[in-house]
Amino acid sequence: MFDKVEAFYRPDSVREALRLLQSGRGQARVVAGGTDLVVEADDSVRVLIDITRAGLNYIRRKRGGCTIGATATMAELEDSDIIRDLAGGLLANVARTCGSVPIRNLATIGGNMANASPAADMATPLLVLDAAVVIADSRGRRKLPLADYLAGAGRSAKSLLVEIVLPDPPCGKGCRWSYQKLGRTAVDISLVSVAAGLQLDSRRRVKWARIALGAMAPTAMRASGAEQRITGRTLDCALIAEIGEQAAREARPITDVRATAEYRREMCAVLTRRAIEECADHAGQTGCSL
Amino acid sequence: MKTMELHLTVNGKSVEWTIAPAELLLDVLRRQGYFGVKRGCEKGECGACTVLVNGKPINSCLMFAAQAEGCEILTIEGVARDGRLDPLQEAFLDHGAVQCGFCTGGMVLSAKALLDRHPHPTEDEVREALAGHLCRCTGYKKPVEAVLAAAGKKKVKRTRVAAEVAQ
Repeated sequence: MFDKVEAFYRPDSVREALRLLQSGRGQARVVAGGTDLVVEADDSVRVLIDITRAGLNYIRRKRGGCTIGATATMAELEDSDIIRDLAGGLLANVARTCGSVPIRNLATIGGNMANASPAADMATPLLVLDAAVVIADSRGRRKLPLADYLAGAGRSAKSLLVEIVLPDPPCGKGCRWSYQKLGRTAVDISLVSVAAGLQLDSRRRVKWARIALGAMAPTAMRASGAEQRITGRTLDCALIAEIGEQAAREARPITDVRATAEYRREMCAVLTRRAIEECADHAGQTGCSL
Repeated sequence: MKTMELHLTVNGKSVEWTIAPAELLLDVLRRQGYFGVKRGCEKGECGACTVLVNGKPINSCLMFAAQAEGCEILTIEGVARDGRLDPLQEAFLDHGAVQCGFCTGGMVLSAKALLDRHPHPTEDEVREALAGHLCRCTGYKKPVEAVLAAAGKKKVKRTRVAAEVAQ
């Protein structure tokens, strides 16, 4: 447990939170929703810094995109008109799969990214939406791609993830989005998850594609090879099957208590096919057997 | 041992408690005698420790007590008013939705939060609201029926046996 914690701070600004982190000598941990941190029960922690009152609880529309403060909860994302209107509601729908209602009232989008579990539910739709993160430290703020952050860039004991930035995704009639999650139950952690976004022209040719895989590598990842292979081609059953196989080849799954690597890879192909199929929105028309 | 002061409202009453900096809300509430807040899995899976914080259900085993500074907490002890059970509690009794009772407090609180926001939920919405609560006795059918009944949805599908017993 956290028996050795000597102080619990509730800074009311990012500046104050950073000052506390600086003076924490590496023994301070940031608390947001706490749903991962509390379970982890790290014995080396001496100072806890609660950032839920530091002014990071917002969801804002702005020119060219929107910004989400790090301590916006899953429940707030589900309910936000801004987020529901974004990419066919992709992010709002995924937020709704992040555990039970009591968990979603606590868990934050910043915590989900900062903890960077390979199975973090929000990571795959955020990668599909080309998300960036804003990191604050004593030198100021900087923005970097979410993929880089998940891989370890910009992370330190004295920096803080303050904001997620989402550029406006392609939109219009030809844009489709899908999220597929395989877990033991609806509210459980995912064994495999796939998020996809496609922009199709009127002849079903793929103009733009994003495919992201969860729980298939040390971090959530883009399936870049599959994205390249699908772009510029016309969707049909054979192509959809090919893209599923390609995504599974790019993945680097492990065997753990929840599933074997072989099973994950197999399911990655299936979920990728389903995601593309849902985006293609032609289930039943072509008789693709998924 | 370092301590700190915590100010909050529990079931309508302002309180000031001395806590350890990293104590969990669950531990503090139970120490103060709110035993309706049950200690179950202690990792946010079973929902037995659910309380409402500013009207929203949360797992008190996952929240540091210090985070509740200035908040309004409702525990199951505060749901009945002036010795009268809440209609939700009555509905749980009427529908046989209580067996050992360990999960009941959390379920009633999650259901209350749902009905406060959506007075006429669909069955799917009720099931989603209760999805964070594990019951090892009766299952989920009766609690779902109880919540729908409390919401004024009278379309409670009784089993043939239950209908005969009622006659």
